[in-house]
Amino acid sequence: MARAFQRKGDHFVAKLDEAELQVVCALLTQTRDLIAPPEQASTGDPFDDLVASLGPVTPDDASSLDTPRDPALERLVPRANREDDEIADEFRRLTERGLRSRKAGNLQEAIDALLAADPPKVSLDQGQAQAVAMALTDVRLVLGERLGLRTDEDAEALQEKLALAEQEDEDDPVLLLSAYYDFLTWLQESVTLALMS
Amino acid sequence: MSIAPAEQQEADVAPDVRPDTPWITLVWNDPVNLMSYVTWVFETYFGYSRAKAERLMLDVHQLGKAVVSNGTREKMERDTEALQGYGLWATFSKDE
Repeated sequence: MARAFQRKGDHFVAKLDEAELQVVCALLTQTRDLIAPPEQASTGDPFDDLVASLGPVTPDDASSLDTPRDPALERLVPRANREDDEIADEFRRLTERGLRSRKAGNLQEAIDALLAADPPKVSLDQGQAQAVAMALTDVRLVLGERLGLRTDEDAEALQEKLALAEQEDEDDPVLLLSAYYDFLTWLQESVTLALMS
Repeated sequence: MSIAPAEQQEADVAPDVRPDTPWITLVWNDPVNLMSYVTWVFETYFGYSRAKAERLMLDVHQLGKAVVSNGTREKMERDTEALQGYGLWATFSKDE
């Protein structure tokens, strides 16, 4: 049975059993793979590769506002200016690769921190706890998008549905995803409150 | 309502001519981000007090959005990028 994060001295300690840790890490990994920027093909020259990796992104990098893309990705790196397409496009061109790359790196840091745990004991330092809080946000944004959460009322309806479901519909994939979302919400709330205490 | 052609309206305003035009960073409400987490981000990134961070968080939650910082366009772009890094729904725009 999981126990919420608590601050103990300069560490953040929780209890998660092996199955719970596996689910959390699997979801973090899927989110990392979704958000990691597409690999840039190697030019064969290490220096050219390095220069290319500094951006700006190439036009075929699906970074234009006009390019249709996964709505979950759109929520993770949303349009940054609502009045002016040109400004929004420029911002995306200059920041998206870096943002996605940093998010992927942060998700990996959270995965590494959780994989290093000795279940059921999970003990994180401050930096790891921050990485976990941020990584859980990205995972929940993706799950929330997949579950069609658009408004606060949608989120409340999900809570009510879960409360009514009990264990009857274990095979319902939407219900399973909702249960994961609910668990991650609880976990993120606890690590955030511990960081604020 | 105006009957002036749109192009002429834009030419009259010409906001980019003034280099000190203040810009703002906005955070929009979403059903996923937790009230605690949004407060923590405002404290951590901006260094705002708990009281100020909570007030801004409540504005986001109850009014649908809040202006969380203002300044030059470059600074607002940096704030927007950082807040999007935290997973908040951040945008920047001219303060009009």
